[in-house]
Amino acid sequence: MSSAENAQRGSFVLLQLAEGRFALPADLVAELAPPVRLHSFPHTSRLLTGVILRRGRILPVYDAARALYGKGSLNHRFYLVARRRFGPTSEMSAIPVDGECELITSEMNPAPLTAPSYICGEINAGDGLIGVLDFDALVGSHPEGGGSADRVEPRP
Amino acid sequence: MKIAALDAPRPRQFRAAEPVILFTVSRQSFAIAADAVQEIRSTDSIAGAAAEFHLEQVPKVRHTFQRGHRQYYVVNACTHFGLRISRPTLVLILRQLRAAVLVDRIERMTELSAIYDLPRAFSGEETRWYRGLAYLDDHVIPVCDPRGFLSPGEFRLLDDAPQSVAMQCELQGAASHE
Repeated sequence: MSSAENAQRGSFVLLQLAEGRFALPADLVAELAPPVRLHSFPHTSRLLTGVILRRGRILPVYDAARALYGKGSLNHRFYLVARRRFGPTSEMSAIPVDGECELITSEMNPAPLTAPSYICGEINAGDGLIGVLDFDALVGSHPEGGGSADRVEPRP
Repeated sequence: MKIAALDAPRPRQFRAAEPVILFTVSRQSFAIAADAVQEIRSTDSIAGAAAEFHLEQVPKVRHTFQRGHRQYYVVNACTHFGLRISRPTLVLILRQLRAAVLVDRIERMTELSAIYDLPRAFSGEETRWYRGLAYLDDHVIPVCDPRGFLSPGEFRLLDDAPQSVAMQCELQGAASHE
């Protein structure tokens, strides 16, 4: 069970990704960072656009908007720094977001049956229902490159 | 939630500064340990000694040359890293590997006090290409692993190619006449 499923009633961070509004469980979120310089270099990992430097760490940057909508964020203003799990360990990662984020407390309801696998629930944010992102599932739904037919072109 | 201040990466472990060569390929900077490079030559200087080579499975190797009774394979770094093809002017001849790398230019030599692990999010071929990342003059630069330019499997394919076998026969013949 993911930590998003554990959340039930809890705190969520609302974020804008391209034209969509989503929520992330607040316990996965470390900070909202200003749009610092993106450092890019050739690689073949999907969804990654490069790295940023934050608090003495090198953080990978996931283009979540591209994963969701097939295009990058529209008006990238901040990086949301969130934790991604790798088995028993985790790694801080950055997600470019369009606009500011909002912290709310809400009860998480199960996701509709028709929801994609990376939506693990729904919360009521006052002005409507918002899907709760399962960050690990979102990244996992885009298999990595690595020499097979799935190989993506290296991106500088 | 808070907005943090800017800062440089903090090294997890300190070690003696490592001399590296900074080079560029298709406007992208890379570093490689200085002791991994035996010699830097201009492409013109090896043009006469290099033979064209083609193996469909390893398209990044288009030339080979002989040196000290050993056959070296020339890796085009643009193709290797998937970058836009540029016009290389230099060849880095690697130490302890029968490989040379075509690069655009050498930026400079410097010393790295720390090499940071590649984040685990990176899980593609780059895990073989890079030893890690360096932070230098406000830039994050990948530090190349010399063994990443040609894998043992690629060496086997190259060595088994008919062109290689013919050259190895020539080399053995030349050695026996000496």
